[in-house]
Amino acid sequence: MADLAQTPPRSLSRAIPLGAVPVWSGIALLLFLALPLIRTGRRFLPLDYMLHPLSLGAGLHWAPAVAAFAVIALYLRPAPRPAQARRRADMAAVILSLGFVGLWAALFSAGTPFGWGAMGASLALCIAAGSALSESNRVRGDAFTGAGILLTLLFVTLFITYPLVMVIRSAVWIEGVLTLDQFRATFSSSLFLFVDNRFTEVNEARMVAYWATAGGAVALAWGLWSSRAAALWRRAWMVPLWVGAGLIAGWAVGIMIWGRGALPSTLLVAVIVAPAATMLGFALALLGQRTNSRAVRGILGVASVLPFITPPFVIGFSMIFLLGRRGLLSHDILGISPFANPLYGAPGVILAQVLGLAPVAYLIIRGSLNSLNPALEEAAQTLGASRWRVFKDVTWPLVRPGIAASLLLASIESIADFGTPLVLGGDRNFLATEVFLALTGRYSQSEASVYGVVLLFLVVLVFIASRWMLGVKGFATVTGKPASGAFLALPRSLEWILLSLAGLWFAFILSLYGVIVYGSVVELWGINNTLTFRHYIEFWNTGWPVVWYTMKLSVASAIPAMMVGGLIAYLVTRHRFWGRSYLEFGSLLSFATPGTVMGLAYILAFNDGTLLMTSTSAIIVLALVFRNMPVAIRASMSGLAQIDRSLEEASATLKAGSGTTLVRVLSPLLLYPLLAGLIFAFVSAMTAVSQVIFLVSAGNNLATVMLLARVERGQLGVAAAMATVLIVMLLALIVLLLVASRYLDARNRGKGLSI
Amino acid sequence: MNRITELQPAAVDLGRVTKRFGAGAPAVDDVSLQIAPGELVTLLGPSGCGKTTTLRMIAGLEDPTEGRITIGEDEVTHLPAEKRDVTMVFQSYALFPHMNVRANVGYGLKVARTPRAELTDRVEEALALVGLEAFAERPVDALSGGQQQRVALARALVMKPRVILFDEPLSNLDAKLRHHVRAEIRALQKRLGLTAVYVTHDQEEALAISDRVVVMNSGRIEQQGTPRDLYARPVSHFVADFIGSANIVPGEYDGSDIVLGDARIPHTQEITQGPVGVMIRPEAVRPAAQGLAGKVVSISFLGPVNQVDFDTPAGRVTGNLPDDAMGGLRPGAKVALSFAPRGLHLLPPRAV
Ligand SMILES: Nc1ncnc2c1ncn2[C@@H]1O[C@H](COP(=O)(O)OP(=O)(O)OP(=O)(O)O)[C@@H](O)[C@H]1O
Ligand SMILES: [Mg+2]
Repeated sequence: MADLAQTPPRSLSRAIPLGAVPVWSGIALLLFLALPLIRTGRRFLPLDYMLHPLSLGAGLHWAPAVAAFAVIALYLRPAPRPAQARRRADMAAVILSLGFVGLWAALFSAGTPFGWGAMGASLALCIAAGSALSESNRVRGDAFTGAGILLTLLFVTLFITYPLVMVIRSAVWIEGVLTLDQFRATFSSSLFLFVDNRFTEVNEARMVAYWATAGGAVALAWGLWSSRAAALWRRAWMVPLWVGAGLIAGWAVGIMIWGRGALPSTLLVAVIVAPAATMLGFALALLGQRTNSRAVRGILGVASVLPFITPPFVIGFSMIFLLGRRGLLSHDILGISPFANPLYGAPGVILAQVLGLAPVAYLIIRGSLNSLNPALEEAAQTLGASRWRVFKDVTWPLVRPGIAASLLLASIESIADFGTPLVLGGDRNFLATEVFLALTGRYSQSEASVYGVVLLFLVVLVFIASRWMLGVKGFATVTGKPASGAFLALPRSLEWILLSLAGLWFAFILSLYGVIVYGSVVELWGINNTLTFRHYIEFWNTGWPVVWYTMKLSVASAIPAMMVGGLIAYLVTRHRFWGRSYLEFGSLLSFATPGTVMGLAYILAFNDGTLLMTSTSAIIVLALVFRNMPVAIRASMSGLAQIDRSLEEASATLKAGSGTTLVRVLSPLLLYPLLAGLIFAFVSAMTAVSQVIFLVSAGNNLATVMLLARVERGQLGVAAAMATVLIVMLLALIVLLLVASRYLDARNRGKGLSI
Repeated sequence: MNRITELQPAAVDLGRVTKRFGAGAPAVDDVSLQIAPGELVTLLGPSGCGKTTTLRMIAGLEDPTEGRITIGEDEVTHLPAEKRDVTMVFQSYALFPHMNVRANVGYGLKVARTPRAELTDRVEEALALVGLEAFAERPVDALSGGQQQRVALARALVMKPRVILFDEPLSNLDAKLRHHVRAEIRALQKRLGLTAVYVTHDQEEALAISDRVVVMNSGRIEQQGTPRDLYARPVSHFVADFIGSANIVPGEYDGSDIVLGDARIPHTQEITQGPVGVMIRPEAVRPAAQGLAGKVVSISFLGPVNQVDFDTPAGRVTGNLPDDAMGGLRPGAKVALSFAPRGLHLLPPRAV
């Protein structure tokens, strides 16, 4: 006859009064004692017991063992009163942190690469310390939350912030001196601005001067006109100000058009691509939402996932097939001479990027269009507004945030794009490719870092500008909740314009992909058009093992990416804690940093010393994990936003810890977003190039890097075969996901998820 | 045996609890409250006065900024929800949509790794308590609002909580059902001897269901007492106005009589002499041979009573008069008004 509060509970964790802190301290101690603490070479395996702490003698590296032991001893005494328990937990947190710091101080001062023991013990110490923080109420939540917070903070610092800091360091810290020499050298190099090309007939410097003069003249006229009513003394300083601004603007435009350097080229392309891709995406989204034709919707659906499953430079490469010097359309049909082909340079890069980014814009804008309530449009209509008027006054202002988010994303992706300029850049240089060329061609880490810093600076600038001007949040929600009701049909004329635009776009996309398939089955593109399966056979022999290896690494990276990303999304949306904005900022950073810069950063951070990891598959997996984590974060966040918090609170009042709640309540409800996040993380890992191109080595080549090498070496047939296989495989995966989503949707509706 | 009917309710003690969200006025301001084992206490007040926040601090879902909370013998001020023997019935019910009724009710026991046989027994018992045995295998969205509400109740009861909390549990039900379910909740609470804290902004619900009502205003406790106490002897204009309806007119008190316009009404109450607020419950108003002079302004028929508005020298007074007390009153008629002593109470004058 006893109450629940008095019956001894049956679960082990409650029967033995052991908290998370001593248990994880014990695990840290075990891992420390059981595994070799360090490595000698790059390889993690086989385990070498000469590197076991016992064989290494006495020293500071024993700190974790001492700390763990002390904490366990501390917890051996019977449970004291709450206030004492809190003080004890505080003490444990301090001791464990000291153990952690001691270990790494020892390893860094010895300079030996860390081993399994160091890694395992550190993670366990972190978990124990996090649990202690929650026990002492420094972090509100249970041990799971505390440990999760510490672990994610550690990961973000180690794999995002620290490598980026290393890039900045390497740009200004050269041979032990703090200097801006490398900046000076890079900025004055012809690769950076590159005004005069002696091999062309025009004098670029003069053209730029013309532009500057024109800008100045226009500004002079405008300044005189606009200030005509002002007092003389005001005109005296306003007009020169205008002229100065006009000169600078004219010079900037001139240099973007005539300069061939990395900075103006990158800016020119971004400035054109972002609005163009956004407009195309908007047109497609509007059409897709309001057309009655199911065929158009189906086509849009398929076409919008293509860029995600296509390695970034493949569009550029099929454009060479189609529009290049010996292209099907340019050479064979239109008869343009190979030497007068305008594709290479800005036009080609712009075209390829617009095609690649329009679907991204489409998805973002479709999200904000779908979250629009049709009743608003109907209301405006009943108030007497015409269709155009409704669009202008209601629809447009409400989708503007989506437009802004799309502009932001498209500019960042355009600036960061590495593959397209490499294939189509011609005589223009681009910042993202310059990072690569500086490192692998000119062997200058500091120069590559300067380019990296410039890129980072640009991206941050774009972010700040978009926040400041438009109030855009970093994470745009791609999925919107579709509202009920019917949307206003498009004005007839507009529908026709949009339809023909979409038709043109789709025909172009279709020919681009068709050309790849065609290129994979002919002997030698443009020269010998006999059909053959030679390229597929060669691919099977040389390429398939690499694709298989890539798939394994991608799976290995997608799962942790989803787990860490989901954890971060959960912590950030559901908890308040110290370091929360840092976590958000860090994940934003990993999303915004151009891939080549991240790749460079990993080389700089993990190429030697204690953190040595380059030339292992671990470094590739890690790069992919933290590169694709934002995808997972976004998927989980939009899922979490739809779940009422009272479900978790109900679970907590029923005595479930946050780990249990995550597993039993949130995960089942988030099944679809989690699955989608997982698949997209896998797909982006499969198609990643820029972030891993520095990290591959002889033994661990990746499919996309191999593909790029084939394109560069001109083995177009094999490249086409490889691209075809990759695209078909990933497309099949996405189709599978769609089928699963139908199934999950139906199942959830049956159980009332959609209330 | 391990039956829900044998749970052991605990006392709850809030000692000077304050909760601040960011800068600005605190959501809950220096609240002290003792709840005896087996007592049902209602937190009542207008929207935004801090009822939910107080409740969530008892549950452990919100961390108090200052003060101390004890449940039974244990200090729980900073203990998270999962470490307290407190369960809660949420306004939205918060039923897990991916589980059926049985799984929802059994969730807490499963988390506590209760042996299978005992779990089944207790879930059955809880379902029987709320009369839902027949619905155990239903998905929760295939239930009516009232049934969902009872699942939420069963899910909270099955844990044999030392304290059970209700946050406006009836606000999603229609008026008829609300009366019915609140009677059920009260009966169950009494039968099981539960310690319960119940939040509502419906004063009638509060009066009907509680052992004790705590009236809150802007994060502070305005007054607490039994429903009868609060109704008959409110301490402020706020409470008088919030609980039931009341006429509050300015008057004077000289220690033995209330001077109201030209009338003197004998009354004894411990209150500072001089200007006072006179609270008159509408049902205490009757036409009489002599008393406060009044003129009928309007009459509206409400069913059981007639609501009659009088203009008096002290101000507008509303009375609720049954038909047989009307005596042929017409708009414009002049009458004298008397007030039943039970419906008359003096308040400190309204601060100006
Ligand atoms: N998480 C929060 N963050 C900031 N302010 C909050 C938060 N929760 C509540 N508040 C504020 O605290 C005050 C009290 O809120 P509370 O929810 O306790 O009111 P309530 O009495 O339950 O009102 P209602 O009857 O409308 O439910 C309100 O002013 C509210 O805005
Ligand atoms: Mg509330």
